Amino acid sequence: MSLTRRAFIKTSALAATGLVIGVEFSVGVAAETAAVFEPNAYISITPDDVVRLWITRSEMGQGVRTTLSMMLAEELEVNWPSVHLEQAITGMRFKGIRLRTSGSGSTVGTYNSMRTAGATAREMLIAAAAEKWHVQPSACRAEKGAVVNKATGRKLSYGQLAAAASRQKVPANPSLKSPKDFRVIGKPTRRVDSKAIVTGQAVYGLDARVPDMLFAVMERCPCIGGKVASFDASKALAVAGVRHLVPITSGIATGVAVAADHTWAAMKGREALKVEWDLGPNQNFDSDQFLQEEIEASRSTDGYYVRDDGDAAKALGAAAMILDAVYITPFQAHAPVETMNCLADVRKASCEIWAPTQCPDEARNEAAKMLGFPPESVRVHVTLIGGGFGRRLFADYVYEAVELSRAIAKPVQLMWTRTEDMQCGYFHPCGVERVAGGLDTEGKPIAWRQTSVGSNLSMYPLPTEAQRKNPRFYFDDEMPWGSFDNPYNFPHLKADYFPVNSPIPTGPWRAVFYPSRVFARESFLDEMAHAARQDPIEFRLRLLQPGDILRVGNQKIDRGRLIRVLQVVAEQSNWKNPLRGTKDRLWGRGIACNVYDEDCYIAQVAEVSVGRETHDVRVHRIVCSVDCGLVVNPLGLEGQVESGIIWGLSATISGKIDFKKGSAVQSNFTDFEVIRTKEAPAIETHIVASDHPPGGFGETAVPPVAPAVTNAIFAATGVRIRRLPVNLASNRPLATGPAQSHSTDNFRNIDL
Amino acid sequence: MPVFRLVVNNVWHSVEASPDMPLLWVLRDFLHFTGTKYGCGVGVCGACTVHQDGIAVRSCQIPLAATVGKRYTTIEGLSAGGNHPCQKAWIEEDVSQCGYCQVGMIMEAVALIQHKREVSDAEIDAEMSDHVCRCGTFQRLRRAIFRAAREGNKT
Repeated sequence: MSLTRRAFIKTSALAATGLVIGVEFSVGVAAETAAVFEPNAYISITPDDVVRLWITRSEMGQGVRTTLSMMLAEELEVNWPSVHLEQAITGMRFKGIRLRTSGSGSTVGTYNSMRTAGATAREMLIAAAAEKWHVQPSACRAEKGAVVNKATGRKLSYGQLAAAASRQKVPANPSLKSPKDFRVIGKPTRRVDSKAIVTGQAVYGLDARVPDMLFAVMERCPCIGGKVASFDASKALAVAGVRHLVPITSGIATGVAVAADHTWAAMKGREALKVEWDLGPNQNFDSDQFLQEEIEASRSTDGYYVRDDGDAAKALGAAAMILDAVYITPFQAHAPVETMNCLADVRKASCEIWAPTQCPDEARNEAAKMLGFPPESVRVHVTLIGGGFGRRLFADYVYEAVELSRAIAKPVQLMWTRTEDMQCGYFHPCGVERVAGGLDTEGKPIAWRQTSVGSNLSMYPLPTEAQRKNPRFYFDDEMPWGSFDNPYNFPHLKADYFPVNSPIPTGPWRAVFYPSRVFARESFLDEMAHAARQDPIEFRLRLLQPGDILRVGNQKIDRGRLIRVLQVVAEQSNWKNPLRGTKDRLWGRGIACNVYDEDCYIAQVAEVSVGRETHDVRVHRIVCSVDCGLVVNPLGLEGQVESGIIWGLSATISGKIDFKKGSAVQSNFTDFEVIRTKEAPAIETHIVASDHPPGGFGETAVPPVAPAVTNAIFAATGVRIRRLPVNLASNRPLATGPAQSHSTDNFRNIDL
Repeated sequence: MPVFRLVVNNVWHSVEASPDMPLLWVLRDFLHFTGTKYGCGVGVCGACTVHQDGIAVRSCQIPLAATVGKRYTTIEGLSAGGNHPCQKAWIEEDVSQCGYCQVGMIMEAVALIQHKREVSDAEIDAEMSDHVCRCGTFQRLRRAIFRAAREGNKT
C-alpha cells in the first residue's frame, strides 16, 4: 500500500508541503508587462497597494483564514490584517495545490509553503526596489507593505513596485525569517472574518444566490440503503411554487427532490409527495444488536495485530493481578448547525458549484465525471462552512445538486433538512474496545493488551480473502489511532484490530479513530492505577519513563513532551489537593492524556460533581495543558481547545445515534442532545512553550475529554463508566460512596 | 396568494406568499436577509432568532400570517456598520468559530442585555442555553455578553 489510510486522511505529507513556488502558477511571472504582481498562486499585489492573499483551505471555524494569512503576511511583511482575503476556487490558478481540509493538517501542511510564498514575493519586491535604486538587495529591507532603502530611508510601496517585481526572477530558495524575528506568528490574533460573521454578511453555503435559481429539498428513503420504487408527483406538483420532481440517486441516501420557487414551497411539495419505497437490505439493522456482534468479535484472539512488543500473553499469564474491561462507544452524528447543502448550476458545457465543502477538488472531479465534462469546465466555489467536523469530506450532497440541476436545466440549491442531516449522512462508527492489563506483585504494570473492534469507515473495504491471511495487514497501516501508538512503556504490549463494517455509512468525525480508543486506554489506565493503589497521574508518569522517543510505524512519539504536559496539568489543576464532597454532591477529578499524530501532546483534568440523590453529572472545569509545537495563533489555539472539549463533552454526556429497523432514531436537537451554555464547563488552557514545528490542532482536544470525565466520575462515586454516553440508562443507578481501590474480582465482574 | 405587509428593519415590505410560511423563509428567500439562519426548523436551536417588537423570537416558528402588525429586526438592521455593543464585544472576545449560529446568539444577547444595568451568569445560562453551537463557543460568548452589558451601559 503506497499511501496509508492514515496518510490519506491526514495527507499532511502530500503536495502541500515542500511545494515549489512558481512552478505551480507561473502566469504572473510570465506576464512580464503585468502591472499586477502575482509571484505565486497565493499572492497578488496591484499598483493601488491592494494586497490579496488566497486561502487554500476551507474555513469552518478552525480559524484557517486567519492562520494561513498570518503565515503569508509574516514573510511578506505587509500591514496585517489590512489585506484582502480570497477563497481559492478550483481551477488553473490552484492546479497542483491541495485545497482539501482534513486531519488537523492545515497549519502543518502549509507552514512551509505559506511562508515560502510570502518570502518569495518579499525577495522579488526587494530585488525590484534595489534595481530602481541601483543598490544591492541587502541594502534594502521590507516592512509594512513597502521596501525601505536602509541607507537613505527612502521607501517604495509594494504597489509602486508591483510591475517591476513581476519582472524579477523567482528566487529558488528564498530565505525565511528566524522565529525570533516573528511579528505576526505567535501573537494572539483575533479572527479576520469576525465582522462579516457578526453582521450577518458572511456567506455560507445556504446563503449562496444566483439569478433564477430554484430551491429544493428531498424526500429520502427511511432505511439506509433503500431506494425509490415509485412515486406519485401529482399532489406535490399542485402545490403553488413547486416546479420539478426528480428522483435523485447520486448521493448516499436516495429519494425524490422537490424543486420550487422558494424553500417553503419545496417543503410543502415534499409533504404532498407520495413515494413507495424499496426499503432495501438493511431494514432490520439494529445498532444494539450490531454492538453485541462487535462485543463477540472482541473476544476473538486471532485478529490483525498492530503492535506487538514483548510477549503480552505470557506476561499476562504470569501477572500477580490481571484486570480486564470492555468499553463501548455509540454511533455519532456530526450535526453541524448548517445542514448539508449545495447550489449547482449545470450548463451545456460547464458547471458552477457553490458548496460548504472540505474537499472541493474531489467534488469538482467527481461532478465532472458525472457530467462527462473535463474537470476544467467545473468550478467549485468554497463558501464559509457552518461546521465541518469531517462530514464535509464527503461531497455526496454536491453530486445530488449537480444531478438535480442537470435534470431541470436550472441553477438549484438543494438543502438537507435537520432530520435528513441527522439521519441520512455519514456517521462516526460505534466501537468496542477490550483491554486487559497485568500488574506484578508490587503493583507495577507489566503487560497491556487492547483489542479494538470498529468500522474501517465506509470508504475502506474490509480486507480481501488474501489480505486476511496476513496478520500484519493493518500493522503498516497505522491503525487504529490511539491503540497502535499507545505511548506507555509496557514491557509487554499487544494491540489487535478487528474491522467490522456495518451497513451504516461511516466517515471521519472530529478526531476520527482516536476517541473510542483513547476512551478505553485512558479509562483502563485509571482502573490499573486504582487497582495498584497509585495516583493516576504518578502512574502515567512512571509508565512514560525514561521520557524517550517511542518509534511506532512512521511515528516518533516523544514521551518527554507527554510527561511535561501531565506535570503542567497536575500543577495547574491543583491535582494534589483533592476536591471535597458537598451536602448534595460528590466531587472528583479525573485525568487523561493523548498524543495526536506524534506532534500534539495534550493532558486534561476534569472536575465533576454527581448528585448524591439525583445522580446527575455536572462537569465544572476542565484544565488542559498542550504542547503542539510552535503556536501560530495562541488565541486560535485556545478557541480550538474550548471547541474540541465541548465537542468531546457532548459525545461523553449525551450524544449518540441509535438505529432501529435500518433508520436512525434521533431526528433533531430535541433528542440528539448537545452541550449548551448552561452545561459548559470553565475551560483553562495552558500552552507549553515549544520550538518544535507546529502541530495541527483542530481535533487534538477531543479524545481525552471522555476518559477525563469518566475517570472523575469514578473518583467522585466509585462508579466506572465503560459505555458512552454517560447518561445512558444502563449506566445507572450510580452507587454513592468514596472512590475505593478495587480488587481484581471487581474488574472481572463486568464481562458483557 | 394573499399579500402580507410587515415591517422588517424599519421598512415596510409586501410579501405575496402562503400564510403558513415561516418568517424564516420570508426573510431568507423573499426579502434577502440571509443573516438569519436555518438550523432545526422546530424552534430548538436558536439559529433563526430575530426580534419581534424588541423580543427575541424563533423566526422558524412564526407563520407569515402572524407577522401582521409586528415590527421585526434582523441582524442586518441591528446596527449601522456592526457597531452594536454586542457585535463589538463578539469581535473583541473573538467568539465566533464557524459563526453560523452566532447571529442568532447575538440577537438573543441583545434582547437579554437591553434595558438592563447588569446581567448575571444565571440569566446568561437561561437565555443562551436555547441555542445550539457545535463549535462550543460558550465560554467566550459569556465573556462577550458581560462586556457588552458593561460597554452598553456606558453610552
